[in-house]
Amino acid sequence: MPPTTASPVTVDSAAVTDVGRKRSSNEDHFVIATVSKALAIGESSLPEAALANRFGASVGHLFAVADGVGGRPDGDVAAQWTVAELLDYLGEAAGCYQGLDTAREQELLARLEDAVRSVHVRLMKEYGGERALVPASTLTMVLLVWPRAYLVHVGDSRAYVFRRGRLQRLTRDQTFGEYMLAAGAWTEAQATKPGPATTLASAIGGTDLTPVVGLIDLEPGDSLLLCTDGLNKHVSDERLASVLEGSGDARTIARRLVDEALADGGSDNVTVVVVRTGDA
Amino acid sequence: MLQKKICMVGVFGTGKTCLVQRYVHSLFSVKYLSTVGVKIDRKEVRVGSQTVSLLLWDLEGRDQHHDINPSYLRGAHGLIYVVDGTRRETLDQLSELRELATRTLGDVPSVVALNKVDLADQWQLDPADESALAAAGQHRVRTSAKTGEGVEATFHWLAEAALGARSA
Repeated sequence: MPPTTASPVTVDSAAVTDVGRKRSSNEDHFVIATVSKALAIGESSLPEAALANRFGASVGHLFAVADGVGGRPDGDVAAQWTVAELLDYLGEAAGCYQGLDTAREQELLARLEDAVRSVHVRLMKEYGGERALVPASTLTMVLLVWPRAYLVHVGDSRAYVFRRGRLQRLTRDQTFGEYMLAAGAWTEAQATKPGPATTLASAIGGTDLTPVVGLIDLEPGDSLLLCTDGLNKHVSDERLASVLEGSGDARTIARRLVDEALADGGSDNVTVVVVRTGDA
Repeated sequence: MLQKKICMVGVFGTGKTCLVQRYVHSLFSVKYLSTVGVKIDRKEVRVGSQTVSLLLWDLEGRDQHHDINPSYLRGAHGLIYVVDGTRRETLDQLSELRELATRTLGDVPSVVALNKVDLADQWQLDPADESALAAAGQHRVRTSAKTGEGVEATFHWLAEAALGARSA
């Protein structure tokens, strides 16, 4: 998406998705959207400047990636519904985010979480609640209302922030391996080994759903990276940091990241959303 | 339902996330994962005849790279300052953290969690430290996210104070 100004910064974002080298279909989905007040002025006696700033300016940005879970039917559907439901919710509530006070901020987070749960319930109903056959999806989404980035996360897709040369992960993988590692029962090597360790402990449409909610205030110059696990299976944090530190717009960086995953084998679908911020 | 925002504040690595994990999910993680930004959890508690939803804002710890972001504190009804009893310097920074919070929020109920009390052989705080906190009118509780000691009491005390059910 071309850079937009979410005063006082520019927000340049882009997504790249690829089926990878081993899979026959791509079950990842993503969205990048600008949230704005949807009042279109036909005619008015008010000065143009006042109108433009009141109703035309973007109030936020939505970024999301979702990864349909393999080994279940219609993973693609689950990921698609998840992203669409978020858009429905944000479409209904568009324009309500400016100047969020604490109470409304809590309400927003609760409603974003509700949106995730509603997809989960819908999937259960649609597929007869027979859990082994219910399509499932991960979700990592950020709603950016400058400078605050609200995060909702389910599963093993990831979000990172790159700030002043330092890459930090905003999410923790909700996998069986991570839980065993946290409990001290497994080593790092055991927890990341392909197989049962990578089974999702929380997913939309999964046996368990535990959305994690958080936020971070961004600074001009920060980059955000959202990705499905097709990226981090192949590209180390050090390499991610190196690519994000490089020059180029969001699309160039997103392309480079996907190319790195493909060059390393591309064993899974890979989707990245890159967001670069800067001084307006 | 009544909601109260509670912020976990402290130096990095004092166990803020672990205390929330223990309180909300009855879990203890042996793996240290630093919090980036804020992680938010919820827990409903009964205080007298009222049910209140505690919104637990687990703030990233203060370190050499950054201070606590005051905007994360905005609107908080209560604060839990977390001190690592095995690292004395985390107590030494308490007054600065309190000053920042008071500048941002004014006077809100707070409690100091003297955490990691299970590590008795590494404990660096002495009785005088706790007496000084008491003399300053600061409620404090010895806690262990690992064993659960003092955890429920810390959050419940603050919930009561935030509701005005006890003087803070």
